[in-house]
Amino acid sequence: MRRKVFYWSAWILVLFCLLLTVMLFSFCAGPVDMPLKKILKVIFEGRGTSEYSILFDIRLPRIILGFAIGGALSLAGVILQGMFRNPLVEPYTLGISGGAAVGVCLNIVLGLSRGLGIISLPICGFLGAILVILLVYSLSIRKGILKIQGLLLTGVMISFISSSLIMLIMSVSHTEDLHGIVFWVMGSLEEPNWLLIKLALGIAVFGLAVSYLFCFDLNAFSLGEEEALHLGINVERTKRLLFIVASLLTGFSVSVAGIIGFVGLVVPHFIRMFVGPDHRILLISSFLCGAIFLIFCDTLARIIIAPLELPVGVITGILGGSLFIYALSKKQVSLGGK
Amino acid sequence: MLELKSLACGYNLKPVLQDIEFKVNDKEFVGIIGPNGSGKTTLLRVITRILKPSKGEVFLNGRNIWQMKFRELARYVAVVPQNFGGVDMSVEDFVLLGRIPYLERLQFFESKMDLLIAQRCLSLTDTLKLKGKLMSEISGGERQLVLIARALAQEPKLLLLDEPTAHLDITHQGSILDLIKKLNKELGLTVVMVLHDLNLASEYCQRLVLINEGRIYKTGTPQEVLNYKIIEEVYKTVVVMEKNPVSSKPYIVLVSQEEREKRRK
Amino acid sequence: MRRNIILLVVLFGICAVAFYFLLKLPDNSARETGFSRYPMVHQPKRIISLGPSITKGLYLLGVQDRLIANTIYCVDPPEAKNKEKIGTVVEVSIEKVFNLKPDLVLATSLTNPKARVKLKNLGVNVVTFSTLKDFNNICKQFLELGRLVDKENEAKEIVKSAENEVISIREKVKGLHKLKVFVQMGVRPLFAATGCYFVNDYIEFAGGINIAKEAREGIYSREQILKENPDVIIITTMGMAAEEEKRIWQKYETLSAAKSGRIYIIDTDEITSPTPQSFVKTLEDFVHILHSGE
Repeated sequence: MRRKVFYWSAWILVLFCLLLTVMLFSFCAGPVDMPLKKILKVIFEGRGTSEYSILFDIRLPRIILGFAIGGALSLAGVILQGMFRNPLVEPYTLGISGGAAVGVCLNIVLGLSRGLGIISLPICGFLGAILVILLVYSLSIRKGILKIQGLLLTGVMISFISSSLIMLIMSVSHTEDLHGIVFWVMGSLEEPNWLLIKLALGIAVFGLAVSYLFCFDLNAFSLGEEEALHLGINVERTKRLLFIVASLLTGFSVSVAGIIGFVGLVVPHFIRMFVGPDHRILLISSFLCGAIFLIFCDTLARIIIAPLELPVGVITGILGGSLFIYALSKKQVSLGGK
Repeated sequence: MLELKSLACGYNLKPVLQDIEFKVNDKEFVGIIGPNGSGKTTLLRVITRILKPSKGEVFLNGRNIWQMKFRELARYVAVVPQNFGGVDMSVEDFVLLGRIPYLERLQFFESKMDLLIAQRCLSLTDTLKLKGKLMSEISGGERQLVLIARALAQEPKLLLLDEPTAHLDITHQGSILDLIKKLNKELGLTVVMVLHDLNLASEYCQRLVLINEGRIYKTGTPQEVLNYKIIEEVYKTVVVMEKNPVSSKPYIVLVSQEEREKRRK
Repeated sequence: MRRNIILLVVLFGICAVAFYFLLKLPDNSARETGFSRYPMVHQPKRIISLGPSITKGLYLLGVQDRLIANTIYCVDPPEAKNKEKIGTVVEVSIEKVFNLKPDLVLATSLTNPKARVKLKNLGVNVVTFSTLKDFNNICKQFLELGRLVDKENEAKEIVKSAENEVISIREKVKGLHKLKVFVQMGVRPLFAATGCYFVNDYIEFAGGINIAKEAREGIYSREQILKENPDVIIITTMGMAAEEEKRIWQKYETLSAAKSGRIYIIDTDEITSPTPQSFVKTLEDFVHILHSGE
């Protein structure tokens, strides 16, 4: 047992170091070239200069948001994969991203942000997400029991309907609105409102803390719902709470940053290959790994074709997908093609 | 210890069990038998609180199980399923899952006590040597033993088993049932086991409960329950009753139709 | 259960409104209504343009030396290509813009609103120009541009001369036979130049009738076009797609424009990033197309 604690602590340490490294990398890299020496000088002496502003007002908020969103999405992914016992489940499978997207589209097309300010955008997104969450939940409850398969199917259907709705809205919208919708959907870590960033951070960390109350529940869930009940888990209550946590994490992330795919699907699988299926280590590892991954992808998105910026979802998709396939094939070889 | 009173239950509108009334006393070894579809598994699910009865109650030491907390129930009753359907993990980790009912909300690591108990359960089932292996690497018989070990780790007073020998060969059938018998005698565990093999039920169980079409057809000792009239009535097949040469317990012999016809001529 | 759901929705609605006001406080997003009237920076020396039409306008006003950066799509006039690039019309590198320490950043309504807000939060002077609706609008915006870069008089002159030319052109075509015109802005999907877009003015000032004037924004139906039976079709895309579209139209035997062979292709850049001057030139092209039977 001591060996397990040691092994886990080592992993957490490694991930923390990686996180700090990536954060540093993101801090130092950008379309505006700043060599390391200059950066150090700016940090200590450069208060008030534009370089200082670039570092702390432009790059830092993105890094923090990347940490929050990457962590939140991966965490939601782990929770859902644990609950559904289905490897293809990710935060967007429940249709929440679809709901948020429709909310944002309506906001853009109705011109609400012109009258209510740009903050109305994530709020509309979140409202859309909440509506979908309520819909999916109420459609999957039968006699007080939350049917897991029902959640999955309803969620997928709602995703499809949302996509169609979005395309409908896009086809009758003005050109400038169209651009707005497309770019929101592509996902971005750019957020001018500091309070929103802090809120995202708070929710992500809070979500992590709450999910740890259920780490054993999730472990038990891996045996099946009946087995988990036999082990003394209040299955219905756990399902409900975990569903709410995962939905909120997802809904909030999508409202603020748009649709950034793959993080919630690939990161949990990837990290599970290294740390094992025990949720005590899996929850925090996924969180950290997701944060690392997103910050890294965002940095690449900013510098690859500077001054142009690629949508971060493009990088997460390509990089995430390829890394995952590579790791999967390696594991198979080492285990003798298991 | 366990009491089912006027129980009825079913899925949706179809009643599967009706008028179920039976008691299990401390330290008894009871076998539940019956033809396929008679409701044996449903009965087990009602006892373990998976299914809610439409009528009647289930009492554990006088307490209605539906009024107990899940954790409480799990510390009292442990269920050994037919097979293992979870994520692959090490045998030790799997057995440690049985300690979950004893872990506090904010306790993230098993205590030394938990580890010792897990070890003890593994050695009781003679699987200590498999400790470090993965569940997918061990044989079917070994896996069944590990499932029992996990149930034992819950330190239950009542052990429920759902067809523990269903997929096993004779070697393992014997060893597992011997183990359970030993646990029943030496640890004073009350055992309720669903079995489809009548002869095994006869050999090992103190008392049998025969379920047919959702009702209790007969309860009693193997000698009382297993006579050819009852078997023919319930299982709708012709059998010959014998006695086990060593234990004198009733033994059911199935004869093929071909042979029966030969005999008649 | 239903009642609980409705209750929850209402609750969340209230929370959302509460959040809205909570989060709005530190946010200084501008009201995007036409031009944001900012206190003018006298003689802005470092200007960044985030749109091709703005770039064109700046060159026209003669302040190109003060233009320090623009988008990769600012290719007209050709010298504009050599300026520092800070992104596309939609996505802008906030870091780069900020680092260039501009006095004035001229954005369009296509520029990512988040970027605009972010730059404003960083203390950059950002002015947003909304979409051009008609010739009047083009002139107004050009005057505003002139005012912002301290070239008000030059702007007034250019606008006056353009207005006069437009008046004279309209006089010339007054008595001529009005042809039914369809201007196709997009090939796949098929987009029309509706009445809320300045292209409509090209058609009407040149003495034509825009069959898509009353139409709503969106994909236009080919059937509708055939029903309206325009005498002239003008396609404003370039390259293979436009050629193919022309051939498609030519196949419709009942179409007036096809019968008389009056299907034309016009350069997109000319038509979509207008300044008062370029408007006049394009208008002359339209007049030529409609009335000289070219």
